[in-house]
Amino acid sequence: MKKSSCSLLILVLLWSNGVFGQDLLNLLEAEQKDENQYAPSAFMMTRIAFGHSTEVRPQNVLDVFVANRFWNTPEESTQSFVADRMSSRIALEYAISDRLTFGAGATTFDGLFDAHLKYRAALQRNGDGWPITLTLFQNMSYDSSPIADQSVSDDFSDRLSFTSQILVSKRFNKNFSLQLAPTLVNRSLGLSAADPTSIFALGAGVRYKLGPHVSFVSEYYQVFNPLESRTTFDPIAFGVNWELGDLMLQFMLTNSWFMVEDAFITRTPNNFNFRNPNLNFGFNATYVIHFKNKLKK
Amino acid sequence: MNKVLLLLTTLVLTLSNDSSDKVICRQGSVSFFSYTSVENIKAQNNQVSSIIDFESSKIAVSMLMNAFVFEKALMREHFNESYIESDIYPKATFEGEILDFEPAMEGAQIRIVKGLFTMHGVAEELEIKTKIEKSGSTFTLTGSFETLVESYDINIPPLLAGNIAKTISVDFRFEYEPYEEK
Repeated sequence: MKKSSCSLLILVLLWSNGVFGQDLLNLLEAEQKDENQYAPSAFMMTRIAFGHSTEVRPQNVLDVFVANRFWNTPEESTQSFVADRMSSRIALEYAISDRLTFGAGATTFDGLFDAHLKYRAALQRNGDGWPITLTLFQNMSYDSSPIADQSVSDDFSDRLSFTSQILVSKRFNKNFSLQLAPTLVNRSLGLSAADPTSIFALGAGVRYKLGPHVSFVSEYYQVFNPLESRTTFDPIAFGVNWELGDLMLQFMLTNSWFMVEDAFITRTPNNFNFRNPNLNFGFNATYVIHFKNKLKK
Repeated sequence: MNKVLLLLTTLVLTLSNDSSDKVICRQGSVSFFSYTSVENIKAQNNQVSSIIDFESSKIAVSMLMNAFVFEKALMREHFNESYIESDIYPKATFEGEILDFEPAMEGAQIRIVKGLFTMHGVAEELEIKTKIEKSGSTFTLTGSFETLVESYDINIPPLLAGNIAKTISVDFRFEYEPYEEK
């Protein structure tokens, strides 16, 4: 009798002890707001490969963005060092607010000057919260390349192209993110009567993380009503993104040497294969500069 | 004997249901520092919650990892995404005991807080020297400690190893008020 009541006593004390220990964290759990947290970014970089991702930078952050494409001409032998042709796009992109980014850039090979506004309308939340990240993208580009054909109307307004995109991304888990991008491109320069001025496309991009800082990416744009007067191909890219703190590097293989939306979506002249000049090696470097110390109010 | 047992049981039950012997902190601050010759990194979290139970001298702390604010906005993303993996391990918690704690003592007392700190899925035994100040019904706990990054199974690429200190110093400050059960 005595023995059993003693063990019962110990049992009760143990039980109460266990409740005390577990209780405190559970009490804190109950105190903390139960709302779903924002999901971490789906892509980290503002571009998946050549196209924009849903990502925007926090306020007062400047991205110095340099993109390069290298490719060879079909000639059997050339005197060029490393690659026969290269194109560079240098751009500055500044985050006006946590949602809105303005960027402007220039490309060497095709003489495109471009500017864009990017607005993140909604951000994905964890759990059963809001499921997707939604970003609106509007770009305008000016084609400064010389046109030999006198019959082509090339006033300032003719040389402008516009691209509107609705970027929708979802981070499915830590490693895998997917983006869809319904796109409308409006352009008029050098088109024949048979060509559409409004071109519709759907972009798809994926990221799969290979490690904490390295990810594999792929991007593809399906063009629904391509140009009729010349043969164009859908742009595709396979690449590796590497995050190094303030520096982010992207390496890719692609069939398009264009780097501005309206150009690579509607004008890519090559298919994706390993014959010159179809295969392009692409290299993007983004350097991130912070103008605001978030710890100082 | 049975009466004693009954008495003890009721005593324990009343104690565990009583809430006035606890204090809570809802907006405590925890900051950490990493000093290297390459880069100084500082982060602060002002939404840390903590609770102390006087009866058992037990203390619990819970913080959301993505509430840490860094000097550079992008560091926060890197911290959550690549280092602390906050979508898998959203919280860091501490469960421990204040040794020789005297809740009734007015003014300052310096005590050792001993317990388990869990972050990034790794539990570490810590002993933290803490200053406890009591004025009326409010308590303030302040202190700092150092901990090794490598204990927490955090993946740091060799290229960035120079940017992140091996030892991270942590400062904390919690202000407690009486806990009322909702």
